[in-house]
Amino acid sequence: MELTNFRDQLFAKGEKLGITDLEVYYEKQDSFSCKVFKGEVDGYESSSVRGVSVRGVYQDKMGYAYTEKLDEESVSFLLNSVQENAALMEEEPEELFEGNVDYQDYDFFSPALTDVSAEEKLALVKEIEAKILAYDERVVQVGYAALSDQSIEKAIFNNKGLALQDKNNFLYVIFSVTVKEGEEIKSGFSFKLTKDFATLNADEIAKEAVEKSLSQLGGKEYPNKKYPVIFQNFAASSLVATFVSSFSAEYVQKGQSQLKGKLGEKIASDHVTLSDNPFLPEGTQSGTFDSEGVPTREVTVVENGELKTYFHNLKTAKKDGVESTGHGYKSSYKGTIEVTPSNFYVVPTENKYEDLYSGLEEGIIITDLQGLHSGANPISGDFSLAANGFYVKDGKIAGPTNLMTIAGNFFDVLKDVEQVADDLEFSPGGGVGFIGSPSIKVKSLSVTVD
Amino acid sequence: MLNKSLIEDVLSAALTTGGDFSEVFVEDRYTNNMKLQGGRLETNLSGRDFGVGIRVFKGLQSVYAFTNDFSQEGLIQAAKTAAQAIQGAPTDKTIVLPMEKQTLQTLHPIELLPNSVEKTRKLAVMRKANEIVTNYDPSIAQGIISVVDEEQNILVANSEGTFAEDKRVRSRMSIVAVASDGSDMQTGHYGPGAHQGFEFIENLDLNHYAKEAARIAVTMLNADPAPSGKFPVIIDNEFGGVIFHEACGHGLEASSVAKNNSVFANRVGEKVASDLVTYIDDGTLPNEWGSLNIDDEGEKTRKNTLIENGILKGYMIDKFNARRMNAESTGSGRRESYKFAPTSRMTNTYIAPGKSTPEEIIANTEHGIYAKYMGGGSVNTATGDYNFAINEAYLVKNGKIDKPLRGATLVGNGAKTIQKIDMVGNNLGHGAGMCGASSGSLPVNVGQPMVRVSEITVGGTEA
Repeated sequence: MELTNFRDQLFAKGEKLGITDLEVYYEKQDSFSCKVFKGEVDGYESSSVRGVSVRGVYQDKMGYAYTEKLDEESVSFLLNSVQENAALMEEEPEELFEGNVDYQDYDFFSPALTDVSAEEKLALVKEIEAKILAYDERVVQVGYAALSDQSIEKAIFNNKGLALQDKNNFLYVIFSVTVKEGEEIKSGFSFKLTKDFATLNADEIAKEAVEKSLSQLGGKEYPNKKYPVIFQNFAASSLVATFVSSFSAEYVQKGQSQLKGKLGEKIASDHVTLSDNPFLPEGTQSGTFDSEGVPTREVTVVENGELKTYFHNLKTAKKDGVESTGHGYKSSYKGTIEVTPSNFYVVPTENKYEDLYSGLEEGIIITDLQGLHSGANPISGDFSLAANGFYVKDGKIAGPTNLMTIAGNFFDVLKDVEQVADDLEFSPGGGVGFIGSPSIKVKSLSVTVD
Repeated sequence: MLNKSLIEDVLSAALTTGGDFSEVFVEDRYTNNMKLQGGRLETNLSGRDFGVGIRVFKGLQSVYAFTNDFSQEGLIQAAKTAAQAIQGAPTDKTIVLPMEKQTLQTLHPIELLPNSVEKTRKLAVMRKANEIVTNYDPSIAQGIISVVDEEQNILVANSEGTFAEDKRVRSRMSIVAVASDGSDMQTGHYGPGAHQGFEFIENLDLNHYAKEAARIAVTMLNADPAPSGKFPVIIDNEFGGVIFHEACGHGLEASSVAKNNSVFANRVGEKVASDLVTYIDDGTLPNEWGSLNIDDEGEKTRKNTLIENGILKGYMIDKFNARRMNAESTGSGRRESYKFAPTSRMTNTYIAPGKSTPEEIIANTEHGIYAKYMGGGSVNTATGDYNFAINEAYLVKNGKIDKPLRGATLVGNGAKTIQKIDMVGNNLGHGAGMCGASSGSLPVNVGQPMVRVSEITVGGTEA
């Protein structure tokens, strides 16, 4: 069944059942991915999936349901579920957005990207894998050599007149490398995301992945104590990503954020500015409206350490007596409206990465963090995480450390940021929003070396 | 779910470019997700997932396509797109499936299908759990209770004549207690689940599970920062098994073994663990959270002994990796949904019980760490390096459990840690979890009796 037909049936039958406000949120995702192992195609996947979620007000309460099967049986399933689910809710219903406002004029869809053939994509992955294997004899394995692209179409319709459509696409490659010297095994990776296939340089990507891995060989034990710590850009962005819910008004209002009551206060050092930009050309979350249909806009959340605003959707904004910031997003058609960032990042400065450690007598550089989903408490901000990285002596990188754990509190880290570099990168990890950071230097953290 | 002749046409279309194996996986799944937070029902969502996955092999090449366009044209088109990636000699094979689907005697009887139960009945149980949590102690700020259930109907057919259907019904309750003393917040969690209907939720011993979640949160509020360094570590039963799930289980999956990307590859018959360790994956345990009648490739699940008295016996193998390894499937091919090609995964994995009593293990430990409840963690399967959070930890002093500790993380190497197990208890228990890997997020049980590891690095906040 076509979407318009499905929507019309749903609106018509919904009205008969006494469902007053009704909204259809539609998403269609076309994807391609391929993986290579030792020159052979190891994975090859193509897909086309669509889904519809419906929310509606029945007897002054709002109910939600979704389906991936667009047929008549599903129309009944959705409407019955909306009625049954609404009956149990105690909350005021969310308001549907009527629209009638201006939206920014941006296009995040690159038609050229869809013209790249599967053969070309596969050839690039094979080329990079071969270059990695040939780069150094200590390379024992390319654990992961993959390319993936996605094209996402979104549409929102409601029976109050809102009708919006949007499209975004992007492509990324990721390579992980295992290197071995003696009995020591280390791994590293390279990740690149783009809308322009021609910018992917096989030599650069191979070099980055191998050099990152090789640089970790020869790990040593160092004393367990507090050190000045530099988080490299990927590590810093994955740390920010872990605690991003603190900036959501939803968590603040539920009392699950340490930033509650801190608007207008200094929550970070002067060096920290955090910005959310839904119009970044290469942002995976870029778009001109959120999942409620509210226009998106650029928002400075923290400016030189001062907390300026939380992220809001219509419901949290109403509760706080402010305007929605355009952050009412659904993780997919399967989810409900939450409050999450779009493309959110620590704003870079002019400092070079090297400047962050060149003045240190002694310090630790963190290249990557593990265990973020388990070793961190997103509410309290406490973390105790496994990490890889380097030991710094007299302003120079002395060499890699054995596996470390670093422990501290995210909100203390924000206050202890002493320098921010110019090398902004966005984290490849999934999760909420698209989160980035340059490398940052923190006054001191507790480090344990295995 | 799809008629037989259409499946046969799709299987045949997928082989037109010279593939030597094709497979169709159809899924129709109803899910419900309810969350009660601070006494209010915050989430109440119902959904229907439906789609088809098509897989083609040629030798060691594998192609996957999935769609939820279930029209004849849509499915044939998806099969042809997949076939395009296979560059073999064009063929014109016609696949004919058996007349009747394989009939299964279920090992996991279901009494109450989730969608046959009124949501008010589910909410009543959730409210009861919330009441127990919030009444436990004045420092409890709130309870977060969720019930997730699903009915997953699947059909698997392949060009070798497999033609089978299965119904998987799962229910899980998650209880989170948040305790606060004004400045600090700590959480406690318990999440029992089963391959069972609503009868599982209704019969849960809430007095045990909800109270434990609350007790953990309150205990952690009054805990001291954990020390750092190397200690003997005692890990208790049930969800404690997560550490060996990550540190050893993943390294025993064919998805890492087949490509030599595991420290356990090519070592069958060798001693890889302490003599005290027998490690088993068993997808047949009745109604357990990770159990299945057939895997997502249509193979019957079974009891696979992975390590016996320290000797590596075998791996968990799916159909595709079986080709690379020159081995047979062990009924371990799993996927989150039609959106994932299956690969080798765990079901219910556990360390078999030993002879020591928990009391003996603690009494024999002079100075160490006792991990009563583990949190989550992860492992790099190439190196075996792992990291874990301990949700409820204690110092052990002179053979007695001493003060509670917070912020403790365990880091180490799986292959080394299983050699250092020096005591195994007699109190085997299983705990439900969700395991994420390349074929998606899957329900699995982890399990073990209490075990002691002679030395693990503990990373605490007290440097």
